[in-house]
Amino acid sequence: MKRWFSKGKLRYPFYILTHPADGYYELRHRERGSVPVAIIITALFSFCFSMNRIHASFIVNDVDPRSVDSMNELGGVMLLFLLFCIGNWSVTCLMGGEGRFKDIVTSVGYALLPLVLTLIPATIISGFVAADEEAFYYLILVFGVAWTAILILMGIMIIHNYSLAKTLVTLILTFFSMLIIIFITMMLFDLLSQVYGFFRNVYIELQNRG
Amino acid sequence: MKLKKQTRIAVIITTLIFCMMFGNVTALANDHVPYDTYNYDYRDYIVHTPAAYVPDHSISGVSFGMKAFNNPQDLCIAPDGLVYIADTNNNKIVVLNDTMTKLVRVITEFNNNGTTDHFNRPYGIAISKKNELYIADSENKRIVVLNSEDQLIKIVDNPQSDVLEAGYVFTPLKVTVDYADRIFCIAKGMTEGIMVFDSDGQFTSFFGTIKVEITLWEKFWRRLSTKKERSRQSLFIPTEFTGIDIDEKGFIFASNIDNAGEQAVRRLNPSGEDVIKKGVKKNVGGDLRTGGMNSYAGPSKIVDVVYRNNGIYSILDSRRGRIFTYDYEGNLLYIFGGLGSQAGTFVAPVAIESSNNMILVLDSTRAEILVFQATEYGTLINDAVALRFDGDESLAVEKWEQVLKLDENFEIANVGIGKAYLSKGDNKLAMKYLKLGMSREYYSIAYKRYRNEILKQNLSFLLTGIVVILAGTMITKSIIRKRKNIVDNTDGGGLE
Repeated sequence: MKRWFSKGKLRYPFYILTHPADGYYELRHRERGSVPVAIIITALFSFCFSMNRIHASFIVNDVDPRSVDSMNELGGVMLLFLLFCIGNWSVTCLMGGEGRFKDIVTSVGYALLPLVLTLIPATIISGFVAADEEAFYYLILVFGVAWTAILILMGIMIIHNYSLAKTLVTLILTFFSMLIIIFITMMLFDLLSQVYGFFRNVYIELQNRG
Repeated sequence: MKLKKQTRIAVIITTLIFCMMFGNVTALANDHVPYDTYNYDYRDYIVHTPAAYVPDHSISGVSFGMKAFNNPQDLCIAPDGLVYIADTNNNKIVVLNDTMTKLVRVITEFNNNGTTDHFNRPYGIAISKKNELYIADSENKRIVVLNSEDQLIKIVDNPQSDVLEAGYVFTPLKVTVDYADRIFCIAKGMTEGIMVFDSDGQFTSFFGTIKVEITLWEKFWRRLSTKKERSRQSLFIPTEFTGIDIDEKGFIFASNIDNAGEQAVRRLNPSGEDVIKKGVKKNVGGDLRTGGMNSYAGPSKIVDVVYRNNGIYSILDSRRGRIFTYDYEGNLLYIFGGLGSQAGTFVAPVAIESSNNMILVLDSTRAEILVFQATEYGTLINDAVALRFDGDESLAVEKWEQVLKLDENFEIANVGIGKAYLSKGDNKLAMKYLKLGMSREYYSIAYKRYRNEILKQNLSFLLTGIVVILAGTMITKSIIRKRKNIVDNTDGGGLE
């Protein structure tokens, strides 16, 4: 427990917020990160995201509350998170990246912290703005997204010891690898279900004849 | 104890569910109409509503002891209340009295400069303010104008113009006429727009041409395809107008078939520009949900339009037999009607008219007029919209409140009430109703006023709070500083 949730480990994501370069370097080389904390941050992000969709004020929010299912969204966010990490890992493995899978998970998870921190205040503030003051709300959101984007970029760059150009290339390749993974998984499921169907049919046939 | 509480909750929930189910069933059973009555909410979900209009009775030729109508195509109501029916395949015009209980006369012939002339497939009819009858005598390729004594006034035929192709055969289908006796005519196969004739019967121009919009994607495919393929593709021809009516300001309401299901009716100003308001949904095309693959699915096929009054107009859909009614802002007020073989349903609806609180629909295959009577619900909506159209929003509130008692999901009613509260200054209630009515714009205004109100009321508390906080921080800071100084001093003393 101590290894994952010590006071220093819990504080570290906040250190990374303001010192991404040093923070990510030490995350890779001095074991300052913690995978469970990263996963918790991701879950928190998903929670904040759902809350924003449900509770943001009517003025800025056009989402049908009936269409929001926070458990579904948690699953979606987690799946996407995992997919991104696997995709990035498989690309960087081939491109001489120094980061381990664990580092990718922690760096991406920690990078979501600005979103967690901005979505909730934005949701609260949305309750106090009129239509012509929406800009405040969107400013906070854009700020959070931009911060997260910068953190992800720097995180990937530093843990793999890449140049900026190479990072951008890997990110694009990561995107494609994610698509390929989705494609292959779907194909696999289809194939498996057909195999299953075949044996099922054989079983039914045998039972009916016997 | 715990179990008891749980069972109690369970009982309450089940009764609630039953109440909801039962409530629904009774609400639907009360209407006794052979069709669906519904509306679309803000998110395009179908919301069932009470019936705005119910079928009252039907009128056929047989009811007046004459031959049944044969493929009648149009009907119209004169300023004096008489109902004219174009009995197309019987080549005659039938005139009924204003309550449609008695046959007034039948027009089969007229005196054309000394010779007796007949109609050949009279298709569309219209009546001017001067009670002159305009008949689109389609197979005789002319428009016949008769006065109220069935005397010929003029015949409009064979339009001559540079913009018309040589050898163009004029086959008028639908006509309407404005206060200056200008004739607006929808002609067969004429895709350039509505043909306008001046009071002398001279063709002047086309009117309200529907521009063809080619999407980028279609352009792209056309670029890729070869000449041979292109010749086989469907041409981008503007759709034809299907029905026509005129409002009290002389603006033309014209319906057309829109395969995108977005705009099936146009309101054309005197220079032929479309000035219709499309409402929040940017749609005046009938049904919004048209999914499915069967012949029953697909966008509404609007065949006629009637301008009623106070900016309200109804359009008639022949694909599902629905009648959609919009207000002057383009909000869908109510939907009723359906296809079928039961009494009160249509087989092939072709024309729609309205008088007082009735809507008349002509069915060409059944060869009868179906008369729909407004219910309390429909009347309330009509009245409320009329009051709002006159600018009397506060009077409309009463009506809207009654509408909400019958149909609490009606968004336009909620917005109407919300706006009234807003102008009355009751911002909190305004917010409640405007949110129910999904009117973001007015909700925001109400909210802003509400917030300022609260701020003003609590300004003294707020200022005191700020002063207290400021003073508190200053005091604590100075205390901390003092302590630090003491600590520093002792430290310093220690080091020295």
